[in-house]
Amino acid sequence: MTAILELENISKQFPGVKALNDVRFESRAGEVHALLGENGAGKSTLIKVISGVHKPDTGTMKIEGMPVHFDNPRQAQLQGIATIYQELSLYPELTVAENIFMGHGMRRRMGPFSVLDWKAMNEKSLELLTSLNIHDLDPHRKVGALTVGNRQRVEIAKALSLNARVLIMDEPTAALTEADVVRLFEIVRLLKQRGVSIIYISHRLQEVFDLADRVTVLRDGHYVDTKPVSETSEDDLIRMMVGRTINDLFPKLPSEVTHEVLEVRDLCCKPLTKNVTMTVRAGEIVGLAGLVGSGRSELAQVVFGITPAESGQVLIEGKPVQIKSPAQAMELGVAYVPEDRGTQGLVRQMKIRENVSMAVLSTLMKGIFVDNNAENDLADKTIKQLSIRAYSREQVVNKLSGGNQQKVVVGKWLASKPKLLIMDEPTRGVDVGAKAEIHRLISELAQQGLGILMISSELPEILGMSDRILVMREGEIMAEYSRAEATQENIAAAMMSDAVRNMNNQRKLSESSKV
Amino acid sequence: MTVSSNEAPAQSGFSLRALLIRQEFILFVITIVGVLLLATQSDKFLTVDNILNQGRLVTEVALVALPMTLIIITGGIDLSVGSIMGVCAIVLGYSWKNLGFPLELAIAFTLVVGLVAGLLNGLFIVRLGLPPLIMTLATFALYRGLAEGISQARSVRGYPDWFFEMGQKNFMSYEKGVPNQLIIVVIAAVIVGIILARTPFGRGLYAIGNNEMGARFSGIPVFLYKLVIYSFSGFMAGMAAWIYVSRVSTTRSDMGTGLELDAIAAVVIGGTSIFGGSGTIIGTVIGLILIQLLKNGLALSGVKGDSTTIVVGLVLILAIVLNNFIQNPPEWFKRRFASS
Repeated sequence: MTAILELENISKQFPGVKALNDVRFESRAGEVHALLGENGAGKSTLIKVISGVHKPDTGTMKIEGMPVHFDNPRQAQLQGIATIYQELSLYPELTVAENIFMGHGMRRRMGPFSVLDWKAMNEKSLELLTSLNIHDLDPHRKVGALTVGNRQRVEIAKALSLNARVLIMDEPTAALTEADVVRLFEIVRLLKQRGVSIIYISHRLQEVFDLADRVTVLRDGHYVDTKPVSETSEDDLIRMMVGRTINDLFPKLPSEVTHEVLEVRDLCCKPLTKNVTMTVRAGEIVGLAGLVGSGRSELAQVVFGITPAESGQVLIEGKPVQIKSPAQAMELGVAYVPEDRGTQGLVRQMKIRENVSMAVLSTLMKGIFVDNNAENDLADKTIKQLSIRAYSREQVVNKLSGGNQQKVVVGKWLASKPKLLIMDEPTRGVDVGAKAEIHRLISELAQQGLGILMISSELPEILGMSDRILVMREGEIMAEYSRAEATQENIAAAMMSDAVRNMNNQRKLSESSKV
Repeated sequence: MTVSSNEAPAQSGFSLRALLIRQEFILFVITIVGVLLLATQSDKFLTVDNILNQGRLVTEVALVALPMTLIIITGGIDLSVGSIMGVCAIVLGYSWKNLGFPLELAIAFTLVVGLVAGLLNGLFIVRLGLPPLIMTLATFALYRGLAEGISQARSVRGYPDWFFEMGQKNFMSYEKGVPNQLIIVVIAAVIVGIILARTPFGRGLYAIGNNEMGARFSGIPVFLYKLVIYSFSGFMAGMAAWIYVSRVSTTRSDMGTGLELDAIAAVVIGGTSIFGGSGTIIGTVIGLILIQLLKNGLALSGVKGDSTTIVVGLVLILAIVLNNFIQNPPEWFKRRFASS
């Protein structure tokens, strides 16, 4: 088999991060090539380089031996590279045929004009779909009325209408039902037989073994290895993906773990919180690991009252409570530092002072008015305590660096004197120095007796900071490890591998049979 | 951690430059210049009597412009206030004349109807997540239709003399003096201004306008606050109806037509961002004064009605362009002047 696509020494730098560092990749005609890596390993950047969205800083890309440069996705398409992104990029108000031929409509002559040939396009669409063994899709239907599985088939037909030689699929099964997954696999195998080279990205390791011929692993923007699937194993792949070094971390301080501040039992909130049972104790840092989309933030938002629970129990310091709104959660001593600082954590156009006091302003009163002195004192105290680098409490938050913005969010919630602090990706988009400071801060807060639930996609952070680690997958808690038991490998396995899920199910079954 | 060097210095007491670039201050200067120019055209313009009388005429717009400021600060809009005023005026006349309510009760009932009309806007906006523009556009038509339906194109007249006290007399019934309704406007403006500037509620409105989700995630009761401001808007439209009927001695279903646009114009000229997040009551008050004196001054100078409207439109554009220019000056301007 010959290589269709070859990439050598590809590097790509974004402000603050080196997303790809000397990466190579090669895919052959008629093979399914899986691309694996943790969140942030560089998979997305790599496929965006291949599909012409990003231009690499260095390195060469060849198609069938000929060097190519793409200035935009259109040029990549013309070279036969088609990409099916996770969020499908179809037009819901247009028909199947219109979507398939978007941008390259077939034309016919009518007198002096060249007009779109809808008849030919509808016929061709039907032909394309039939060739994929899809017989239940009418080209005249609007895409918006289709199921996710059918929409994806339209995307594949669209790729074929462009004579794609390389088809990139980014987590194609993430939103599919079991039946749709089976059909997708059939289609992928069909395309493979026809000599299409498929680059397949998935977090489900089982799929890689079911479908792929070879697998390439990336880690922190570096190329790790490429292996035939037949010569590897799940454990092997996980080891390749997670072998990250743990550095730049503040060593966790010892703290005294006492009573339970939070207990949840069988908490449900569709679609991503399913029968969650867990506890967080005072003085304890509980790490919540999982892939993006596994339901960690959703769980936090259920506890914080943004999406109130549908069923199940929440106990704060042993007392059963019903949390229906963030204001109520705050009263009960729950604080939530959200994942997205820009839209959820802060009002960035407002000043540090105004953000820090936002949650507690109604307690800083003199009569019915805001007590300016008390508010100023709170802001100054927070800036000092968290060493927020700003020239004044009157500075607009937007002008601060990511790390300092994060400290403002933390400061806002510390002002509410919480018992439980939920931190969602506390060090995302924060530079190394600020990261260490935030880690020290988290550790100190636990020492002072706060219960901390820390959501993070970075395994070293989870391992370095947590007393106890919970792993979520598809809305359920899959596994729990003590600090001593936890390793990058067993956490990653619980995040991704079906084996752990089966074990877990069996454990549940045996538990329930005991009862 | 990096702090750009060309920013305004920290608020260390009084800063002349900070005052000079305030939109309110610029507007104030424009207003003064405009008034002085107009005063040269007519000797009736710049007299105490005339100015106070203008205060009487601007009352209805001013009353709804206050809650409108709060609503626009949250990034919303209320197009239905003119129609609420229409329906309230009709309710006042109808409940007194046809239902036989004592006039005092009819007034109270009118205010309640206004409040409920506004609350309805708020409920749909908050509970069903309708965009305020769409919801209040719908009730803009709906409430006006109600007013016309109830009134059956008949006007109500023959109110007792004491009822005209509010709309036509001066404070303490002096022959010359401050119109009664102007006192109400001033008190309302001061209260609303203080609430906006100095209470957690006011701060919450700014937070909602800048980032509603961020406000919600900070435990601010966003839905409650929105209900309050839309209800308040309806209530003030009811007040405006009462005062207007008292001023013109009659009730008609087309009262308040175009009121919402005058109010929005005053709020926006007063420096409140139409996208939400910033604005002040003092700005709105200056906006109201500017528009009213401009209209009056031009009319006294012999400019015809249509041309007056054109000038008001031009001033609106000018005020916004000037404000954008000062808030985000172009590079050449910064290089020349901002070094000071």
